[in-house]
Amino acid sequence: MGKTMKMRMKGSQNLRQRLLLSTLSSTPIVIDDIRADEMIPGLRPHEVNLLRLLEIVTDDAFVEVNETGTQLKYKPGIIMGGKNLVHTCSLSRSIGYYLEPLLLLGLFGKKPLSIRLKGITNDPRDPSVDTFRSTTLNIIKRFGVPAEDLELKIEARGVAPNGGGEILLTVPNVKTLSAVHWVEEGMVKKIRGITFSTRVTSDFEHSMRFAARGIFNNLLPDVHIFQDHRVGAQAGKSPGYGISLVAETTTGCYMSADTTVSCERPDETGELDVEKKERLPAEDTGVEVASWLLQEIEKGGVVDSTHQGLLFLLCALSEQDVSKVRVGTLSPYAVETLRNIMEFLGVKFVIKPDPLTGTVILKCTGSGLINLSRKLS
Amino acid sequence: MAADELMPSHRSHRTPKSGPTARKKSEQDKKKRGITVNKTPNFKAFGVKSARRAQRSKSRAAEKDQKRLHLPKIDRTFGEAPPFVVVVQGPPGVGKSLVIKSLVKDFTKQNVPEVRGPITIVQGKHKRFQFVECPNEVNAMVDCAKVADLALLVVDGSYGFEMETFEFLNIMQVHGFPKVMGVLTHLDKFNNVKKLRNTKHHLKHRFWTEIYSGAKLFYLSGLIHGKYSPREVHNLARFVSIITPQPLTWRTSHPYVLADRLEDVTPPENVQMDKKCDRNITLYGYLRGCNFKKGMKVHIAGVGDYSVAGVTALPDPCSLPSAGKRKGLRDRDKLFYAPMSGIGDLLYDKDAVYININDHQVQYSKTDDGKGEPTNKGKGRDVGEDLVKSLQNTKYSVDEKLDKTFINIFGKKTSASSETKLKAEDAYQSLPEGSDSESQSGDDEEDVVGNDSEIKQETEIHGGRLRRKAIFKQDLNEDDFEEADDVELDSYDPNIYGFKEADDVESDKNEVEDGGDDFASDSPDDEAGDYQIDDKDFGNISKWKAPLKEKARKKNPNLMQIVYGASGSSATPLINENHDISDDEESDDEDFFKPKGEQSKNLGGEWDVGYVNSEDCSKFVNYGYLKNWKEKEVCESIRDRFTTGDWSKAALRDKNLGTGGEGEDDELYGDFEDLETGEKHKSHVNMESGANENEDEDAEVVERDGNNPRSQANEPGYVDKLKEELEIIKQRNELEYNDLDEETRIELAGFRTGTYLRLEIHNVPYEMVEFFDPCHPILVGGIGFGEDNVGYMQARLKRHRWHKKVLKTRDPIIVSIGWRRYQTMPVYAIEDRNGRHRMLKYTPEHMHCLATFWGPLVPPNTGFVAFQNLSNNQAGFRITATSVVLEFNHQARIVKKIKMVGTPCKIKKKTAFIKDMFTSDLEIARFEGSSVRTVSGIRGQVKKAGKNMLDNKAEEGIARCTFEDQIHMSDMVFLRAWTTVEVPQFYNPLTTALQPRDKTWNGMKTFVELRRELNIPVPVNKDSLYKPIERKPKKFYPLKIPKSLQKDLPFTSKPKDIPKRKRASVDDKRAVIMEPKERKEHAIIQQFQLLQNYKMKKKKVTDQKKRKEYEAEKAKNEEINKKRRREERRDRYREEDKQKKKTRRSQD
Repeated sequence: MGKTMKMRMKGSQNLRQRLLLSTLSSTPIVIDDIRADEMIPGLRPHEVNLLRLLEIVTDDAFVEVNETGTQLKYKPGIIMGGKNLVHTCSLSRSIGYYLEPLLLLGLFGKKPLSIRLKGITNDPRDPSVDTFRSTTLNIIKRFGVPAEDLELKIEARGVAPNGGGEILLTVPNVKTLSAVHWVEEGMVKKIRGITFSTRVTSDFEHSMRFAARGIFNNLLPDVHIFQDHRVGAQAGKSPGYGISLVAETTTGCYMSADTTVSCERPDETGELDVEKKERLPAEDTGVEVASWLLQEIEKGGVVDSTHQGLLFLLCALSEQDVSKVRVGTLSPYAVETLRNIMEFLGVKFVIKPDPLTGTVILKCTGSGLINLSRKLS
Repeated sequence: MAADELMPSHRSHRTPKSGPTARKKSEQDKKKRGITVNKTPNFKAFGVKSARRAQRSKSRAAEKDQKRLHLPKIDRTFGEAPPFVVVVQGPPGVGKSLVIKSLVKDFTKQNVPEVRGPITIVQGKHKRFQFVECPNEVNAMVDCAKVADLALLVVDGSYGFEMETFEFLNIMQVHGFPKVMGVLTHLDKFNNVKKLRNTKHHLKHRFWTEIYSGAKLFYLSGLIHGKYSPREVHNLARFVSIITPQPLTWRTSHPYVLADRLEDVTPPENVQMDKKCDRNITLYGYLRGCNFKKGMKVHIAGVGDYSVAGVTALPDPCSLPSAGKRKGLRDRDKLFYAPMSGIGDLLYDKDAVYININDHQVQYSKTDDGKGEPTNKGKGRDVGEDLVKSLQNTKYSVDEKLDKTFINIFGKKTSASSETKLKAEDAYQSLPEGSDSESQSGDDEEDVVGNDSEIKQETEIHGGRLRRKAIFKQDLNEDDFEEADDVELDSYDPNIYGFKEADDVESDKNEVEDGGDDFASDSPDDEAGDYQIDDKDFGNISKWKAPLKEKARKKNPNLMQIVYGASGSSATPLINENHDISDDEESDDEDFFKPKGEQSKNLGGEWDVGYVNSEDCSKFVNYGYLKNWKEKEVCESIRDRFTTGDWSKAALRDKNLGTGGEGEDDELYGDFEDLETGEKHKSHVNMESGANENEDEDAEVVERDGNNPRSQANEPGYVDKLKEELEIIKQRNELEYNDLDEETRIELAGFRTGTYLRLEIHNVPYEMVEFFDPCHPILVGGIGFGEDNVGYMQARLKRHRWHKKVLKTRDPIIVSIGWRRYQTMPVYAIEDRNGRHRMLKYTPEHMHCLATFWGPLVPPNTGFVAFQNLSNNQAGFRITATSVVLEFNHQARIVKKIKMVGTPCKIKKKTAFIKDMFTSDLEIARFEGSSVRTVSGIRGQVKKAGKNMLDNKAEEGIARCTFEDQIHMSDMVFLRAWTTVEVPQFYNPLTTALQPRDKTWNGMKTFVELRRELNIPVPVNKDSLYKPIERKPKKFYPLKIPKSLQKDLPFTSKPKDIPKRKRASVDDKRAVIMEPKERKEHAIIQQFQLLQNYKMKKKKVTDQKKRKEYEAEKAKNEEINKKRRREERRDRYREEDKQKKKTRRSQD
């Protein structure tokens, strides 16, 4: 009893999930050899920033990083949640990076979470906040989370490298998540989207929209892509534009694709490893994102590749009933998620390919995690 | 005929002429004869007379209906339910064991010599019971209350209720109230029937007030041949058997095992070397509550927390009879299992059979070894005896010795020369033994590392026996897997079954085009093309079925293996294990030297990131080659995924859930006949035409689902709907895993409730085995997420009203919470109106308060019960408080009042320097801005440390304060503040199973106990004592008005300067003289008054006298009346009694 059983792991991979699952299952972890052999060893700024965020949201968490940053000890505390929290995210990753673990943590907190995150709202590496609004929240709502309290408000947009965006996230508390039986993909009934531009002309948006619609027009008439041109303080600190598309099916599945283009001059950014890519014309960006979306639709499944990991996490955290979901081809991140779930929660999935549709059907019994920190009223 | 006469005459059958049976019979008879009686209801009889009354009755009925409803809970148990635990509890000497014996006899026709440990019996076709006798001890009572499904409270009727019964009831109420029935025994001690009746009535009503009115109380009237009367026992048995358990929250969310058997499986050598070495034990019992997953930690009540070293499901020792058409239970099906009661000498384990031999029947020559030597001194020792004894004294077993001495023929090789050899070794290493290999790890490893020999023999010490196992086959799991991996890599196509490689564009494109064709033409052959990816392997389209089936079979485990690595069985708890993900730097050659799991992880890693420091990105961006979606054909390929496409095809896509779906639906309908072949056959039926079939069946399933749960349709809609939903979930839970084999299912969902489990637990203190008493229940409870962490918990606590004293803060109490029992030191508090938690020194007498304590966490809403003393010889009520956990926190925000007192050392107008309030300037800094007050009520504020304002030599801790008025030097200044109270981080698990059971567990003592023991008087603070208050009269100085003020005052308010007179004034001195007439009148009035007074006095005396007489008279009359009335009553009763007797006689 008295001694704490620590889980030891290596490397910086899946740090977010490890921290998240460690907090939810209240298992202390030790991560060794974090980028030990790299030029710049140790934790990256965004990872350190994530730990800071965890300290804000939880209470009594113990974090210890060694001098070189290659070893991390984390002893989770109690998830508190709370109102009027503010966190400034690191500019090396976008807010989407922080949102994924934060959403789940918020669900299992003591008090409903309402937090203001500042930083980069849209960037090509992480799912954009628009995608979160349109897709991720809808997925979570399927698991018995009260829909009216789960909200994400984009107060200001910010594009890499300087950010300046701001969002307001509110997450309610749940006692348990309910298991889902979600195998019917349905047919795509409508496609919605949003384009935005900050500190650049809205012509970019227009051409992206036009190009994307051109692709969908062959398939579906019900396509609406909205425009969100921000100016002044709401436009953040860097110029850029982007697009986020979502396809909704008849059974309430959402598929998304998004991207962002930053128009900042590359010489200002000090990073070495950013390859100097020729910026595509906006039309091509639109076509590309639309093609991504169609490819996601082609793959099938009830969620897109980006959200597979989240879906599995939610399934594993749900009540001790059988969940059954259908996804397209498993993404590497989803596979890693499955492994992490196995390690922390002891939940194993039955993975069965459905050859007819080229999809994969996963089944699991939820771990039956109860929100322990919630106060009895 | 003669035989008939010899037999005692049986009473002839009497056909019932009235009552429900007769009515039913007559109805049936009428039906048979075709008579139809159509009763027309009498409308007038049920008409509404009063609208208001009708409304009232309606609303009352509705209220009753709503009250009856409960939020439906999901029942996650499948299959055979575990035996129903019947705890028989009562004070000592009340006949508990006899109740159990009688019940067992009634159920199984078996005699139990003594009741030790749980006794499992088969009662009906679907029902088993486990009888547990609760020893008369608080710890055992607590454990019993946690597992009981039904509690039989045995009460000595001749004595009445005893405290134990009520204690047990209270414990049960806190831990979730199971069903309760009372049993009154010793009723033959009454020889007065009236008294017996009164006692029964009285006890019944007392029982009802405690549980609910109408609770069942049984009367066992007396002993016949040392047994209860069979008829009464049979009635009791029938009542016991119809009771259905209700799900209790804690129990349905935690797995638990009530162990009915314990074995010590420590290697005997270890015990021989050190008698007090930690033991390995195995516990056996039915799994209850919820599913038990591998790797779960358990709490053994009275011992501690342990991780389970091995879990195995054993065949049910007391299984239910196989489903037959017979109505009743055959005698040979009435099984009976009581391993600790000493019935049946044969016990079956996972891999051994135990034969019980009583200790006195065995002679160990060892035992007299130590003592025998001196007696043997005289004679010479026998050689044979010597030999035997030397054999017994060996420390190491023969095999151990053999292991250590090895003949090295080829010399040691550290690097493997050939792969095959290593493989063989690998196979050797991972023998399919599950937990057993763990129990003797040391020896085995030696074998594998150092030994190159090909001996296929494994020795193992298990369960105290030396066992030799010949290995005649390769391990299936491991080797097959390895081969499968190779095959897999060749035949595995990433495009369809999961994973996409970025550069693999060509095939991707082809495949999609294929798919497009499929949907267009819809012929089976074309569909086959869909599966057929590896043209090399399965080129021939006509033979598509065979490889397809095989592939379908093979693919399933493969995908799981790729994700989870290694074979399924090795996926034991990763928690609490050091598990390293393989480093990538190591070369591929070295992969062979790694354990299996890691190797396969690497296999998986080839296509995914695999690199331990890879970027943490959830977004999927690796789309590779993008198709040109502008082209019509490309678009058409996914046309059916859109509402603009073919709806029927899309529906087909959704409905067809692979090959597994078919099997599931079949099983729903009970098509159990040759599942093996049936499944295979159907799997391709499914692909050709299964869609429609499935649809129909699905619809039917839904219909059935809907109909099953609600047999009574008049339930309100909401609850009905909830129930329906839960039923669907339940069926789904049952169905989804049906197509999996047992092993995989256990891995996914854990062991199901009702399985007979064998739990192996390592490193248990030897005392547990030493002081093991089968009469005490062994409760093994599973621990949920986060429940093995410790922290502060806040609970709403109420002192039990039967406990005589209030509880003191920080006095240790023993709580029973969740599965655990531990001692902790709570701090009591109460929530003020502003949300502050104020510490209380003592619990309120009749109110709830908050208790904050330190201990292993439990989920909120868990109830617990507190004790202060566990000893059996305590007269009072042992339960001190009951409580429920509200929340847990990392800190306890409890505060108490603090009053800091200081005196002014220097006063400057409204500023004063206060000393003695703070000890340092730092402290002052902490209190800057807080308000202070003098005794007289002048308010002020702490400003700063006053060091620099005073001369620099001034001592530390002088604060500068400002007040609303100037204060006096004699004033005292108070600062009222709140200080946090620390809750001691103390908890002490009760280790009652690690000591002799009759000994009372001793933990931390309370203050009172310590004082009593050490004879220390209660410390008294002299300042706290009350002293007589001496108040000197306050002397006020006359009011002086300054001249400057006086000058401005109006005349009326101005103090007048009137000189003092020496003599009285004329007005005061003047005398009053009456006129003669006045004098006369005055005299007359005085005389009249005198007369009046005299008269009144006289009258009063006479009145009193009269009253006294009247009272006396009244009392006399009353006495007479009373007598008369009594007479009258007596007469009346006599008359009535006669009347009654007469009527009774006439009735007879």
